[in-house]
Amino acid sequence: MKVVGQAHSRVEILEKVTGQSVFGADVRLPTSFLFGAVLRSPHGHARIKRLDTRKAERVPGVKAVVTAQDFPPVRYGRFIWDQEYLARTKVRYVGDLVAAVAAVDENTARRALDLIEVDYEVLPSVTDALEALRPDAPFIHEEYEQYKAAAMAVGRKGNICFHKETVVGDVESAFREADRVFEHRFHIPMVHQTYIEPHTVLARVDATGKVTVWVPTQAQFFLRSSLAEIFQLPFIKVRVIPTEIGGGFGGKMLPTVEPAAVALARKGGMPVQIVMSRAEDFQTANPRHPCYARYKTGVKLDGTLVARDVELVLGTGAYCGNGLVICVRAEMLAIGPYRIPNVKIDLSAVYTNHADCGPYRAPAGPQLAFASESQIDLIARELGLDPVEMRLKNLIEDGDETPASGGPLSDVHGKETLRRAAELAQWGTGSRQKNRGRGVALGYWLVGGMASSAGVKLNEDGTVTVMTGIIDLSGTVTSLGQIAAEVLGVDLADVHVRTADSDFAPHSTISAGSQGLRSMGTATKLAAEEVKKQILQVAADKLEADSSDLVLEGKRVFVRGSIEKGLSLGQVAMLSMTHKRGPIVSVQSTPPFPNQPAFSAHVVDLEVDPDTGKLTLLRYVASQDVGTAINPLSVAGQVQGAILQGLGQAMSEACVFANGKMLNPTFLDYKIFSSLDAPKIEVHLVERASEAGPFGAKGIGEPSLIPAPAAIANAIYDAVGVRICELPLTPERIFGALQQQNKSR
Amino acid sequence: MASRRKKIRVTVNGELYEKEVSPATSLLDFLRLELNLTGSKEGCGEGECGACSIILGERLVDACLILAVEADGQKIQTIEGISSKGRLHPLQKAFAEKGAAQCGYCTPGMIMAAKYLLDRNPSPTSDQVVQAISGNLCRCTGYGSIVEAILLAAREQ
Repeated sequence: MKVVGQAHSRVEILEKVTGQSVFGADVRLPTSFLFGAVLRSPHGHARIKRLDTRKAERVPGVKAVVTAQDFPPVRYGRFIWDQEYLARTKVRYVGDLVAAVAAVDENTARRALDLIEVDYEVLPSVTDALEALRPDAPFIHEEYEQYKAAAMAVGRKGNICFHKETVVGDVESAFREADRVFEHRFHIPMVHQTYIEPHTVLARVDATGKVTVWVPTQAQFFLRSSLAEIFQLPFIKVRVIPTEIGGGFGGKMLPTVEPAAVALARKGGMPVQIVMSRAEDFQTANPRHPCYARYKTGVKLDGTLVARDVELVLGTGAYCGNGLVICVRAEMLAIGPYRIPNVKIDLSAVYTNHADCGPYRAPAGPQLAFASESQIDLIARELGLDPVEMRLKNLIEDGDETPASGGPLSDVHGKETLRRAAELAQWGTGSRQKNRGRGVALGYWLVGGMASSAGVKLNEDGTVTVMTGIIDLSGTVTSLGQIAAEVLGVDLADVHVRTADSDFAPHSTISAGSQGLRSMGTATKLAAEEVKKQILQVAADKLEADSSDLVLEGKRVFVRGSIEKGLSLGQVAMLSMTHKRGPIVSVQSTPPFPNQPAFSAHVVDLEVDPDTGKLTLLRYVASQDVGTAINPLSVAGQVQGAILQGLGQAMSEACVFANGKMLNPTFLDYKIFSSLDAPKIEVHLVERASEAGPFGAKGIGEPSLIPAPAAIANAIYDAVGVRICELPLTPERIFGALQQQNKSR
Repeated sequence: MASRRKKIRVTVNGELYEKEVSPATSLLDFLRLELNLTGSKEGCGEGECGACSIILGERLVDACLILAVEADGQKIQTIEGISSKGRLHPLQKAFAEKGAAQCGYCTPGMIMAAKYLLDRNPSPTSDQVVQAISGNLCRCTGYGSIVEAILLAAREQ
């Protein structure tokens, strides 16, 4: 292959390094626009008794004030229709939306917000998922039984918005027969995606009532459907124009301030821009689900896993949002990538009075892997087994299935991935040094793929344009160009590929779930192959040859063996346009994809300072099973970035709540890794071409985030003998655990 | 609350601007909204993320924390001004080559922080590079490719 498999800079890179890229807040229109701001609830749970916007409306420079009265009286949602965009009668978290103002400048808009009078009857609130399950807990959605809900939203009752029990075999008998049974509880707090670009929108409503929004979104077709639902509009009246996106990590798929901007633009008669503040973003924009996990595992003395009983409680927040996707993921990932004949999974998602949680890179992955992989490590050490060997003994292989995997799996490379990381890290070698330790953990992920379509056209000069609506987060768009170039025998420089908007792009999957390239790449490859067929037909007629004797290479089509007897692609395009079939173009579709496993293994060496609890990462080795790396530069970047995000969740990140309010909504207090914190990461790609991806590609964006927290926890145990079952593994928590250890000695 | 507007003169990327601004306008808003130089980004508005890093006189600053009136009479360099006559700055080339920009939102600030370093220390060590960009948060790359790109640019310039 000439283009696929080569490292290429991203096609839009020069705009990015010169500051020319247009991100959400960079959009400018020929006409001026207003600045919007939203009024949010200061209470975690309250009834709205009175709402009076008259004073705000009278502020000079204010052009529109909207409340729930300006929206159709509908609830929206993806799985449970439980959310009114602006609150009518009740607010359910600190940050819930109440009203919005548009004014000539941001200061005026914010001043007007302060003049909106709201009388609240404050109700008891609950931000902890276990507390929300108690019989005396505040009831967050009294009217839940009236809500429309998707068939998959099973077990709804009170604050429980999803409950499902999955049983395979007989865990109780298996526990009785097991040599040892281990039971542990874990707690993983909420973390935030923390893209550097906050949520932003510019909305315009034209004279025909058509809504246009410029948004840094990961999912333009999702957003179009949400806006159509909230405003009760046909899809052709909503146009989403995706801007360059300053990071998403799953956090930019659900509506945040977009509907407010649309309502303000409609009422104010001018376009409206809303840029969320960092604090607003932290407090309200769909963070990762906090999770309580109980793992009970039965084993034989040789390390064979015989039964696993997992109980999970996810705090989904004030609304279900995308919560059920995460529940499905949790069911898939709960027991880990192991052959276990007897399994029970009890899974609940619970309404709580914090922001509704959403997808975050590998949703449910790191929470469950922290619990599962910590416990596997613990069991191995208790039984005197090597933690790598114990995993290898139980790992799934081709033809195995795991709960909710959707049938037997193929392309299973867990063992090879783990072995590679272990080899690279020289697992099992090195002498013990005081306070130093080594930990291993495995990440398991299942990549599906939603339906997509893509178009490819041959331009009159022989260049190629790929038409797609996929959002480019991870370099997907560049890889689509590589795929088209490979099929059509041209260079990447001869291909134009950029994201088109929702009015003009063929329907494209979301940029999430590691499936963008798998799904869009397959559609692009099909379309390119169809274009190739058309090229060969046109050329075959002209060259009086059989199309099977033609070669498409180096921007030319020629008869095999006689390169001079041929046509340039430009000649073919013009010939087709003027004499033959018309323009050469194809749009092709793919249906959804079955799940495919992807693995990531991490081995970390670290040192614990026993006087402070501070960790120093000495060496970090990771391997990931990536199929064919279409663009190794992008793949390496995805793996490195995912690991660092995982390390943040492992060591420093958590949304901290008191009285329903997030206490640390700033970069100063919510600590993501800086360059000073980042270890050097050694990455090894396990490239085994997959049977079910374009040119053998696999989903790659998420798996490497998953094992990081468990790898760190396991290394801490190895170093100083304390087992910490709650994230993040901060110096104070480690120090506290060491103090406990000293006391109990 | 119509605050009295003040006239300021600033030289941005070699071009002189005379504009009236509100005393409350940040230098970042001035650049982005008044001059339409949108390359410098706002990530937090609190001086914590570095996405708005620019060079003001002899200092590397977060433009969100400086008032436009404080820049009166000074020279400013932003991402828009570092390539000359269509020739990319070595840092821009190196960032492209090393995959040091993914989403690209932190990139303008990151490059300005790196330029500030290389202008003063043409051959930094890896540790010095890590220190120099420690005020610039990136959530995509893991920083490794950024450090490599800056070291590459130092060698090439």
